[in-house]
Amino acid sequence: MAAGPAPPGGCPSAQRPHLSKMERVVVSMQDPDQGVKMRSQRLLITVIPHAVAGEGPRRLGWGASGPALAYPHPSLCCAGSDIVEWLIQKYCISEEEALHLGTLLVRHGYLYPLRDPLSLLLQPDDTPYRFQTPYFWTSTQWPAAELDYAIYLAKKNIRKQGALVDHEKEHYNQLHRKISHTWDLVVMQAREQLRAAKQRRKGDRLVIACQEQTFWLVHRPPPGVPSVLEQGPERGSCTARRVQMTKNMDFYRREIEYCRKALGRTRVKSSVCLEAYLKFSSQHGPHDPIMSGCLPSNPWIADSDTYWVVNAPSVAAPTKLRVDRWGFSFRELLEDPVGRAHFMEFLRKEFSAENLSFWEACEELRHGGQAQVPALVDAVYEQFLAPGAARWVNIDSHTMERTLEGLRRPHRYVLDDAQLHIYMLMKKDSYPRFLKSDMYRGLLAEAVVPPETKWRVFPFMRKPRRSSPSPALLASMEPAAAAGGPRGGDGEA
Amino acid sequence: MAREECKALLDALNKATACYHHLVLTVGSSADSQNLREELQKTRQKAQELAVAARAQLTAALRDRGLGAEERAEFERLWVAFSGCLDLLEADMRRALALGTAFPLHAPRRPLVHTGVTGGAAGIAARALSVRSLRHEAERDFDVNDLRELEREVLQVGEMIHDMEMKVNVPRWTVQARQAAGAELLSGAGASSVGGVSTEGRRRPCDLSKALAAAVFSAVLLVAVALAVCVAKLS
Repeated sequence: MAAGPAPPGGCPSAQRPHLSKMERVVVSMQDPDQGVKMRSQRLLITVIPHAVAGEGPRRLGWGASGPALAYPHPSLCCAGSDIVEWLIQKYCISEEEALHLGTLLVRHGYLYPLRDPLSLLLQPDDTPYRFQTPYFWTSTQWPAAELDYAIYLAKKNIRKQGALVDHEKEHYNQLHRKISHTWDLVVMQAREQLRAAKQRRKGDRLVIACQEQTFWLVHRPPPGVPSVLEQGPERGSCTARRVQMTKNMDFYRREIEYCRKALGRTRVKSSVCLEAYLKFSSQHGPHDPIMSGCLPSNPWIADSDTYWVVNAPSVAAPTKLRVDRWGFSFRELLEDPVGRAHFMEFLRKEFSAENLSFWEACEELRHGGQAQVPALVDAVYEQFLAPGAARWVNIDSHTMERTLEGLRRPHRYVLDDAQLHIYMLMKKDSYPRFLKSDMYRGLLAEAVVPPETKWRVFPFMRKPRRSSPSPALLASMEPAAAAGGPRGGDGEA
Repeated sequence: MAREECKALLDALNKATACYHHLVLTVGSSADSQNLREELQKTRQKAQELAVAARAQLTAALRDRGLGAEERAEFERLWVAFSGCLDLLEADMRRALALGTAFPLHAPRRPLVHTGVTGGAAGIAARALSVRSLRHEAERDFDVNDLRELEREVLQVGEMIHDMEMKVNVPRWTVQARQAAGAELLSGAGASSVGGVSTEGRRRPCDLSKALAAAVFSAVLLVAVALAVCVAKLS
C-alpha cells in the first residue's frame, strides 16, 4: 500500500486506545485452548448462467442449495452466538454488553459477516463470522491512501466489468480527477494484483477478496453509514504519550516527575463541585431563556425582536432579571455595561472611582493592540501608580514593588498583579456595599418587567414570515415604504 | 531501445510488487509459515534488483539533456509510475516488518489469526520471480534473521527513494497518464502485457452461452435436414 501522509498528531495509537484494546480482544480470541469455538464452513460457489450473452454474474452461496457447480472448501469461521458467549464468559459481562462489544468489533472491521458483508452488525445466532487478517487491522492505523483505494476500485471494476455501486463510481471519478498522473500505475497494479490472486486456490481468493472489501467498507463507508474512524478535533499533547516498550531510566524518571506534579495539583472534592453546580443551576434557572421562557416573547417564534431591543447592551431601562443578575456575582456586574456604569456612579459617591477606572485601564492594556502597549503603560503609571498621581490607587507595598520592577520591561500583562489586587478590593469591599445601597434598591424597584405578548386567539393564523429586505433595496424603497403602513407591527389576528 | 528496456523493467517491477502485496496480506494469519517468509524474502529481493536496474536506466535517460520533448514526456511518465511502484513496495515492506515482528512464528505467545486462508502461496512467488516453481530451503530460525535483513532493506529502499527525488526533478502534476478512466476494462491494450484478466473472466460465461446457441442451432439444422429428406422421399 502506498505511504500516505504521516498521521497527524503526536501518537495516533495513544489517541485511539480503543483500537489497541480491540486488537487484544481479537488476539485472545485466537487462543487454541481458551479462544472462541471455531467451526468449519463449507463454501459452495454457485454459477448461475445468464441467458443474455456476455454477462455472467457470479453468486456466492454459503451453505446454500441449488448449485450448478459446487466447490467444497472448509474454511474456519465462528458463529455470532459463540462470540457472544465467549465474551460473556471471558469478561463477565451481561449479554447486552457482549452484543454491543461484538458489534463494535464488527464495525471496526476485526470480524466480518459472511452472508451479508454490507451489514456490519453482530447477530447473536448462527450467522458465520470470520476474522480479518492483521494486515487490514484498524489498530495499526496504516493510512488508507487514495492510490490504494483507486487500485481497489479498478480491481473491482475489472471483476464486475464496470458495474460498480453508485457511490463507488463517484469515488472512482473523483480519484481519477485527483490522481490522474498516476493512473497508469493504478491500472497496471490492478491488473497484476488480480493476476497474482489467480495463483491462489479459489477459496483463498474469495476469502482475501472479502477481507479487502471489509477493509474498504470500514475506511470508506457507503453513504448513510457513519464512519467509525472519525476523530474529534486534535487534542494537545496532554493525552498523547508514546507507549514505550523498553523501560529504561529515563522512562522511570519521567514517570516519577509526572506523578509528583499530579500529586501537587489542587483538587476539589466532588461534593463541593456538585454543590456549586446545583447552586449555579438553581440560581440561573429562571434567567435562562430556554428553561424559563423569555419575556416578552421568543423572537424566533413570535417573529418580533422586542426581546433583543429590551435586552440590548446599553439600554436606559434594564429589565428586572438583568438587575437581579448583578447580585449574583461581581463578575456579572462588571460584564454588563449598564451595571458597570451604575457601579461607577456608586463609587463616585464613595470617592473610590479610581479603582474601577484603573481596572478598566488594565483591561484595555491586556486586550488592546501591541503597538499601544508602551504608551498605555506609561499613561497608566502616570495617572494611577506614580506617587502623588492625580488618581492614586491604594495598592499594598509588596505588589507595588513587583509592579514597579516589571514596569522596566513593559508588556501587556505587567499590571496583572495590581489589577487583581484592586479587583479583590472592590469585590470584598465596595461590591457588598453597592448591593445594600439605596441606589441598587432603587434600580431594582424601577426595573421593568416586559409584559408577555398575548397569544392570538387563532394561533394558526400567524403573521406570514417576511425576510427582512436587504439594505440596498431598503434605501431605494424608503420613500415608498414611508407612505405604507408600519412594517413589523402586530396587526390582524 | 532504452525506452523498451525501461518499460519491460517497469512491468517486471510492477508484477513483483503486486505479488509481494499479495504475500504480505497473509502474514500473521493462518496461512503464515516458514515457507511464506521465505517467499516474501525472495520476492522482495527480486523486486529490489529490478528497482535498482530500472532506476539506473531511468535516471540516465532523464538526466540526458539532449532528449526530445516527446521522449522526455514518455520517460517522465515512466518515472512517475516507477516512483509510485517503489512507494508501494516500501510501504508493504514496512508493514511486513511490523507484522513479522508482531507475529513471530516460533513463539506460541501470540497465536496466528484464523482467517480462513489456508493455501500456500508458492505460485505467487514463482510468478514474481518468473520461474516455474519455487524450492523452499530455509533453516529453522529463518524468520528471525530475515526480519533483521528486512529492516536493513527497508532503510535501503527509503534511501533509494530519497536519492531519486534529489537527483531527478519531475513535477508530477505535469505528467499526463496514458490510461483514461475505465481503461482497465479494455482487455489487453495499453502499457501492460497482453492477456488481461478481464477477457479470462468474461470468456467462460460467453463460452457457455455460445455453446448453448451452437447446440440449439445445430439441432434445428438437423431437424430441418431430416424434414427435407422426408419430404423429398415422400414426394
